[in-house]
Amino acid sequence: MKKRVFSLSILAMASASFISCSNNDDTVDTDVNEALYTEVLTDLTTDVITATYNQLNEKALALKTAVSTLSAETTEANLMAAKTAWSATREPWEESEGFLYGPVDTGGIDPAMDTWPVDVSSMNAILNSNQAITPSLIAANNEARGFHLIEFLLWGENGDKTVDQLTDRQLEYLVAAAADLQNNTQILYDGWKPAGGNFGANFINAGVSSNLYPSHKAALEEIIEGIITISDEVANGKIEDPLNSEGGTPNAQFEESRFSNNSKLDFANNIRSIQNIYMGDYNGVDGAGLTDIIGASNPTLDAEVKGKITAAINAIENIPGTFTDAIYNNRPAVATAQQKVAELLTILQSSVKPYVNSL
Amino acid sequence: MVKKILIPVLILGLTSCQNDDSSSYTEVVDLSERLYAGGETTLFSVTSNAYRTPAPNLSNEDLDMHLAGDVDFESVFVTAPSTINQGLGPIFNSSSCISCHPRDGRAGFPQELNNRSGLLIRASMAGTNEYGGPNPVPGFGVQIQNQAIFGYEPEAQYNVAFTEITERLADGTTVTLRKPTFTLSETYIPLPGGAMLSGRIGSPVFGLGLLEAIPEADILARQDINDADADGISGKANYVWDPFEERTMLGRFGWKANTATVKTQCAAAYVEDMGITNTGFNLETGHGQSNGNDGYGDDPELTEEILNQVVLYCRTLAVPAPRGIERNKVKEGAAVFERIGCTSCHTPRQQTGYSPVSALANQTFYPYTDMLLHDMGEGLADGRPDFLADGREWKTRPLWGIGLTELVNGHTNFLHDGRARNLTEAILWHGGEAANAKNKFKNLSKAERESLLAFLESL
Repeated sequence: MKKRVFSLSILAMASASFISCSNNDDTVDTDVNEALYTEVLTDLTTDVITATYNQLNEKALALKTAVSTLSAETTEANLMAAKTAWSATREPWEESEGFLYGPVDTGGIDPAMDTWPVDVSSMNAILNSNQAITPSLIAANNEARGFHLIEFLLWGENGDKTVDQLTDRQLEYLVAAAADLQNNTQILYDGWKPAGGNFGANFINAGVSSNLYPSHKAALEEIIEGIITISDEVANGKIEDPLNSEGGTPNAQFEESRFSNNSKLDFANNIRSIQNIYMGDYNGVDGAGLTDIIGASNPTLDAEVKGKITAAINAIENIPGTFTDAIYNNRPAVATAQQKVAELLTILQSSVKPYVNSL
Repeated sequence: MVKKILIPVLILGLTSCQNDDSSSYTEVVDLSERLYAGGETTLFSVTSNAYRTPAPNLSNEDLDMHLAGDVDFESVFVTAPSTINQGLGPIFNSSSCISCHPRDGRAGFPQELNNRSGLLIRASMAGTNEYGGPNPVPGFGVQIQNQAIFGYEPEAQYNVAFTEITERLADGTTVTLRKPTFTLSETYIPLPGGAMLSGRIGSPVFGLGLLEAIPEADILARQDINDADADGISGKANYVWDPFEERTMLGRFGWKANTATVKTQCAAAYVEDMGITNTGFNLETGHGQSNGNDGYGDDPELTEEILNQVVLYCRTLAVPAPRGIERNKVKEGAAVFERIGCTSCHTPRQQTGYSPVSALANQTFYPYTDMLLHDMGEGLADGRPDFLADGREWKTRPLWGIGLTELVNGHTNFLHDGRARNLTEAILWHGGEAANAKNKFKNLSKAERESLLAFLESL
């Protein structure tokens, strides 16, 4: 993972070790804090993270249906509906990238769902073969599956695919790829939900019976690292690579969702993932988030973080036209968006993480 | 500057905690000096990113290159032709570095052996190649690739069968170990009789630059090939052929210390694991085989620039600091670790000398390895020699960061083929030169065992 700012981590640890000593004679405040931490960890686990994965799985099921409909009745309207269903599935996925730990990583789900770039040669070889295209065939060709493969087949390499260009073999591939994708969203959701793998219990029971997080702060640090990681990825990877591929020249080949022109929305939804974790709100449910911890004792920092999140989302959405076009023709707007995301990264890393550690 | 000011503050903080409950405890091992497990490359942040964070003391220039290497380490290769990341396979084990070293850490034992995983199987015939290394299996080479790009046939599918072995501890506790035996099926041509197979699991990649910069003389000083001091521990350096340097060098990396440098380790992994040719290995791993050539004259598929970035990346990841070293249980465990003889091979302290990477030069650090080969007994033996390492010898693994395996990677599978399901099993697999230490472990009280595990978990 990429990161540039480190010097404060030792300060955080030093402060934490002082606090662990002094907590003994400050029990009332401690209990209040610990109760709040439990509430935040519970809400984030249940109402944000698990709920996002639930949404992802629901949307993937809808995509599977939309693609089957398109295969049965290959019309322009059904192609449009399948594209819409893809974008709708993409949204909770990008909104989950602020928490890429747990089953999505240990279960190998991320590379299975979001492998990039699309292995076009492999895809063409599969299309041109006489093998039945099934979810298991796709699973054995890991670079030719997942979101971007489906995107490529629905939109075409230049984003201008029409319904009459969809071959029977491509439709067969789409049906299998959507089923394969949904297999993985199901595994992911099941991995977190209490009736499944219940990974969320590690956060909810942090400091009590969690194997992974010996304290509330350890769990909060993981959550904060998660949003630091994605802000870094957006600024220094997802935007930087296509904008400045080789010493300052743009290259759309490095763009994440260029077939569908969904990249701007992908990036904005990555920042919304940070927002959801920070605010504790998702899909109309208003829970406790990091803001409730920071805002209570440092309203200035809290307001600053909220402002940086909003500024980053706005700057990404204010890039004119498509991202592909903008990296060539509106480079200052892209650079501004990158700068705003970088500022969010800096405040999360240099202020939020040490602050929470020092509480 | 900030860090230097804070060191005394930090130690003061820890000391003030420990005094409350340690009055009756006589400190045997001073762990406080080991807080900086990676010297100035130490990371004090305990999350699932603990293995994949750049060393905090890198120069700006090195950090830039490290970050470029980070991208390369995660890059997924695809079938040629492609406008980017071209050249996967045609036969391979995985498509990116990160897939075998998840979060730069340790791969688990796979549930499905022929899905993408961090497990691979090495192979060789009796005898050696022209450089004294493993003798390739005709038609298969020294590694079995169980994946292929579409339209090509993998060399084989992997199979495993487990044999159970029960160990009884002095207090009556029983532990069941599982010993994997690997076989191949669906080979693309018949496998020659007598082929030796040995499983390998991807291991963590942080701290490698420090291990690479330990002066050779320091490692050799611990050698005792004929056990002249009669402590039952020999310790032997491996000497291996290096394709970049084109000479025989001290082996430092790999489960049998069969690779001299981080660069060769990376270059060999690109070609053998991913089918990506490079400046060290310009021929596809399956060259000359019916499934071995992709038909593109694009070799080397990896530029020297990218290889060097990845090498620097692997050299300069931060080493996670130990946690809870002020706890009595951890200190007691450290004393047990020393008393039963673990430190005879898991040498706590090492130092680097000169390094071209300034952040790695002249560091004192705590990897818990002597970097030498030891006879580990029949239970762990793979019967497959690798340069000077015989079929029973393995290089002492570093233990730093081992307590974070579950947090980072979601499992606790250890040893060369991932057979151990937890640290206790890993200890019980020790034999040969380590048999004495293992037997002492078996005779520990439950409380002592728990202290020892608490110490290992603190690393």
